[in-house]
Amino acid sequence: MTDQTTDQNKTVLVIGGGVGGIKAAMDLSEASQNVLLIDKAAAIGGLMTQLDRTFPTNNCDLCTISPRLSAGSRQQHIELLPLTQLTGLSGEAGNFTITMTSAPRYIDLEKCTACGECHKKYPECVRFNPGLDHRAPTCMRYPQATPQAFSIDMAACKDVDGLVKVCPANAILRDDTEKQHTRTVSSVILATGAELFDPGKLDHLGHGRYPNVVTGLEYERIMSASGPTLGQLVRPSDGKQPTRVAWIQCAGSRGINREDVSYCSSVCCMYALKEAIVTKERFQDDIETTIFYMDMRTFGKDYEAYYQRAKDQYGVRMVRCRPHSIIPDQPGDDLAISYATDAGAGLTTEKFDMVVLSTGFRPTAAATQLAATLGIELNPHHFAKTQSFQPVTTNKPGIYVCGVFESPKDIPETMVQASAAACMASKHLPRTNGATESDDLPPERDVTGEEPRIGVFVCDCGQNIGGAIDVQSVVAEAAKYPNVVLSEMSGHGCGKEALERIQQMVVEKNLNRVVIGACSPRTHEELFQQTIRQAGLNKYLVAVANIRDQNAWVHAGAPELATAKAKKQIRMAVFGVAESGPLKEYLLPMNKEILVLGGGVAGMNSALELADRGFKVFLAERNGRLGGLTALVRRNLEGDDVQAFLTQLVDRTNAHENIEVITNAIVVDHQGMPGKFTTGFQIGPRMYYRAIEHGATVMATGALARRPNQYLLDRHKAVMTQLDLDSLLEDQSAQVSEWQSLVMIQCVGSRTADNPNCSRICCQTAMKNALRLLDLNPDMRIFVLYRDMRTFGFSEDAYIEARRRGVIFVRYESETPPQAEAAGAQVAVRFTDPILGRPVEVTADRLVLSTGLMADDETTEDLAAIFHLNRTEDGYFLEEHVKLKPVDMSVPGFFVAGTAHSPRTIRDSITQAQAVAARVQALLARNTINLGATVARVDATKCATCLACVRACPYQVPFINEDRSSEIDPAKCHGCGICAAECPAKAIQLSRFEDEPILAQLEGLLERIA
Amino acid sequence: MITAERKPLAEIIDCIGENRRILLVGCNECVTVCAAGGRKEVATLASALQMNSMRHGKTLDIREMTLERQCDPEYVEQLAPFIDQADVIVSMACGCGVQEVVRRFRNKRIYPAVNTKFMGASEGPGVWAERCHGCGNCLLGLTGGICPIARCSKSLMNGPCGGSSKGKCEIGSDVDCVWQLIWDRLKELGIEDQYENVIMAKDWSTERGGGPRKIVREDLA
Amino acid sequence: MQTFEPVIVAFCCHYCAYTAADMAGSMRLSYPANVKIVRVPCSGKVDTIHMMKALEKGADGVLVAGCLDGDCHFKNGNTKAVRRVALVQETLKELGIEPERLSMVTMSAGMGTRFAQIATDFTEEIRKLGPNPVCAGIEAKAAAGAVAKAN
Repeated sequence: MTDQTTDQNKTVLVIGGGVGGIKAAMDLSEASQNVLLIDKAAAIGGLMTQLDRTFPTNNCDLCTISPRLSAGSRQQHIELLPLTQLTGLSGEAGNFTITMTSAPRYIDLEKCTACGECHKKYPECVRFNPGLDHRAPTCMRYPQATPQAFSIDMAACKDVDGLVKVCPANAILRDDTEKQHTRTVSSVILATGAELFDPGKLDHLGHGRYPNVVTGLEYERIMSASGPTLGQLVRPSDGKQPTRVAWIQCAGSRGINREDVSYCSSVCCMYALKEAIVTKERFQDDIETTIFYMDMRTFGKDYEAYYQRAKDQYGVRMVRCRPHSIIPDQPGDDLAISYATDAGAGLTTEKFDMVVLSTGFRPTAAATQLAATLGIELNPHHFAKTQSFQPVTTNKPGIYVCGVFESPKDIPETMVQASAAACMASKHLPRTNGATESDDLPPERDVTGEEPRIGVFVCDCGQNIGGAIDVQSVVAEAAKYPNVVLSEMSGHGCGKEALERIQQMVVEKNLNRVVIGACSPRTHEELFQQTIRQAGLNKYLVAVANIRDQNAWVHAGAPELATAKAKKQIRMAVFGVAESGPLKEYLLPMNKEILVLGGGVAGMNSALELADRGFKVFLAERNGRLGGLTALVRRNLEGDDVQAFLTQLVDRTNAHENIEVITNAIVVDHQGMPGKFTTGFQIGPRMYYRAIEHGATVMATGALARRPNQYLLDRHKAVMTQLDLDSLLEDQSAQVSEWQSLVMIQCVGSRTADNPNCSRICCQTAMKNALRLLDLNPDMRIFVLYRDMRTFGFSEDAYIEARRRGVIFVRYESETPPQAEAAGAQVAVRFTDPILGRPVEVTADRLVLSTGLMADDETTEDLAAIFHLNRTEDGYFLEEHVKLKPVDMSVPGFFVAGTAHSPRTIRDSITQAQAVAARVQALLARNTINLGATVARVDATKCATCLACVRACPYQVPFINEDRSSEIDPAKCHGCGICAAECPAKAIQLSRFEDEPILAQLEGLLERIA
Repeated sequence: MITAERKPLAEIIDCIGENRRILLVGCNECVTVCAAGGRKEVATLASALQMNSMRHGKTLDIREMTLERQCDPEYVEQLAPFIDQADVIVSMACGCGVQEVVRRFRNKRIYPAVNTKFMGASEGPGVWAERCHGCGNCLLGLTGGICPIARCSKSLMNGPCGGSSKGKCEIGSDVDCVWQLIWDRLKELGIEDQYENVIMAKDWSTERGGGPRKIVREDLA
Repeated sequence: MQTFEPVIVAFCCHYCAYTAADMAGSMRLSYPANVKIVRVPCSGKVDTIHMMKALEKGADGVLVAGCLDGDCHFKNGNTKAVRRVALVQETLKELGIEPERLSMVTMSAGMGTRFAQIATDFTEEIRKLGPNPVCAGIEAKAAAGAVAKAN
């Protein structure tokens, strides 16, 4: 079967429904762009759904993100095709033709209610993700898969007739077949992820042979409340709780042996720490945790603090060694690990009862195949290849990549790339005109003066409600309530059919109020509001009685009581809605101009992406010229000419018709809300005042290069920073090539008591410069004194290369840092070699310090005060949510990119800048700001001007106006209703929660039997 | 502003006795501001009275009304249509309001539901304090703008008594000695010497000495 | 004898207690069906009149459920609710009605277990107190009237 659709609307194809794909799809749909999201699995969610908790917040975030993709709340902009794979692509950016194959699900998604009857009777026929069985009462991790439906393994099913009959919703399609689709799309985002290495291929680690050797992911599943052991931490061999657990890092990574890969997977150090911390949190001293590692790579924002907490607060033991093998400790199922450390001579052997292998990411064969289908290039490690300054752009125009398919990375980095890819993919779409609140809606029917005519619809929700509540008797009872003109059962009330039925009845029976007995209004009220609005009623004329979450689900054991309660709940809703009236939502026009603070690489990239999309951008820079920190950098690790790139960027920014560059600009004041900000500047050199009105604000104010007063820096000519060396390498290569010996010291001023975090870029920078030095003079003696080499991802290749070419790496401990002393024109550096166990002195021609970045504390402090933004302890701006909203800030309408967020490379800053541009487009997609209808209103004829509201309001909104009445600006009101409850004259009512409907609900519940 | 606070419920309930039809009248002026007798307090009292009555097996017929100002006859007139349907009027206004209702509706029993306290100011949310005694002969010009008549327990006019200690009055450690306040204020203003001026014996005839008082503005009357 | 089934009104803040009640549902925790929820945007929206009226109209117990101390979605609505509940409790004392029939509780949105526990405990407490004396009075009188008529 083939269907052919010609899309009138331009669409972005997102391949892969893991967190990256979901994020990209959501950003695009928020910006009113159409998305086709395909995934080869039966439900989206990807790898993250299998994780117990995620670092560094140690909570489950998919619970937050997944409901927003469920059918009920998904915007019409996202079309989801599960069980679907891309088979071909032709055409060019802006107009690709794609072919796809969808595997049969044997389930009608429209009908399936995920009631679980099929799985109960025929478990062998029904597929569901391990541990994600939403019916398990303990499964709160991921209770709702999207789409919320089962899928059938027809091949495994022997009694197909029985299976078809058992489904109460008639949803099983026994003759379902594979489908081919052809579509046109404008651009493509690859978010196909990667797989985790299978360590069974390594015989020395014993995975697959010794039951108590598990991978990190398997350990997560064992820890997970929704996992196979329902959250009991027990070891596989005998179901006993372990007392000693060891993690072995870099299983299959950073190696040169068979089955190894050379790169670093970037996330394993953090996940091992997380697993150890969570174990310690739950079991304290009952379980000993030990991590065997080579370098602890906690390079992300505030990750170093997480590592220190693991050691100091939780007592996770860290052993720096890569053990060769795991040996079973006979008899019994324990395991022995032999290892050597710097401290002792020879091998130590220890027993553990469980060993966790920290396995990393591997590219999938399917992704490699897909790359071939699409014609995109891969790097030598078989990950998607992109350019240094175009971090999410593949070699093929119109095809972008995000997440682990680009390189190993954690969730926050994936989310940032996903937003960046959404930004880039939207380039090939026409700019939407913006959605207005009342787009495509029929006019609202005026119901004022009418007697209430209420229609009651009671959902059965599969077994969810009907299983506990006698819905028919509730329906019959509701028909008798005052003002009710229609009462009927609504099956699956949020289903398409049921919603259409409600709309039809509103018109046919001339209803002017609707009550729905359903699940929680928290999740579904909006859907029902939209439904009656489309039928011409004001959206506030519907009331949802929560008879599922707050009744059927909690009173399943007492059906009579549940039914009686449901009747009361419906009665309350009927009485309440009868007293409710149509409400107006307060709308303000959206200002679509953007203020970008900071004219570095991040600020300019955000500005250009937005300006290219037709947005007017004010780019304000504190200094006299654009360029920021990047003006100090000459070459990146890949060897690109950074200044040539920067010059081009500055020229484009200055020349862009939609960008107004304002230099020497200092922020002095600020007010407003998203879509309607005003920020005041003093602009030099004459410091005149200018107010700029804008709808969104991008914080790209950068960081500072650290220059600490350590190791004779600025006191001896032979001592310099890596940035100084970078310039010398470019400008005075002849002189540099004369040097015979050189020492680099890492972590100067980083990972210390006063600056606990890692600067992330220094290890790569040191490798970059060491290799350039060796290019000039292959015989130069280079020593790198380090604490942990943090060449994460593919930059590990540079570390390997440096070692191969003779750079000598010597580790030092933070307690015993190297010492430097002037020795004429040279510098004498003393340090302890941990392997030799004795002090060594090197007299070097140059000493180069890796000093990293530091937050521009003064600037971020001032700006944080003016804009009410949050900062980290070390003075970087804090994002709203470390994982889910990594470039949004806690103040709505503010976004952060570049080194103002945390230390990062130019490439990472560009990714963030593009991500910010996507987020800004999502924010500004609407033409209006909707303030909602829940605002306090003052009846001036009742107001006694007593000031109670003025004093009670937590936000200082009410004021006494010139007409001697309190006045509340709906644009500022937060809708808490505190003033309404305090007003002694009862002059204030909170719309939607007026006294009348509240008292009417009480009346509905409590009316005495006469 | 005139301040008041609600009487104990038992007293109000006792007054109402066996009467069933009640006209409960609030006032949207001072007593609203001091949270004693505005619409909200009227509703709360109505509910309390109803609950009490129901406990004893009968329901009350309570009509709630809140007048803009209960001490003005034009507003009081708004009660006229409902007077006959009530056995008794309960007023949550100050004493002025109660008596104005009485002046208009002479044949109906009326009970106050609040105790009228004093003329005071709002010191903060939920706090009102006495400031003026209505003596009819204002001395504030002599005392740095702080009234010793309203705020001294003894209404002394020439400095504190022997009970003043560390700025507090002997009747309670939470009561400021007003003469301390006056002294501090005079010092702030740099006019301490004014303290030396003896305030002559006050003519109390402008207060209660001359009997009930009345103001007549000929031009407006 | 039939056990007394109290009617309990819970004014629940949308941001915490109402969500916690939903959470109790997702967790399939069981609690007595006696509790009926009225959703409010903030516990600080619950007027003294609402609490009084609920009892006047016959609720046997009233819960006001807000966010944990310091966690109010609107800064301090919950602390205002605490004070109002205390005021109404004083009024109830004056009327000779058990002040325990009205209670302020706090929880976070994630505390489904706490919601179910509170609902269970409060229902038990009210069951022990017996029917709301306001209704009991009226019903006793009505019953007496009926008996008189029958005679």
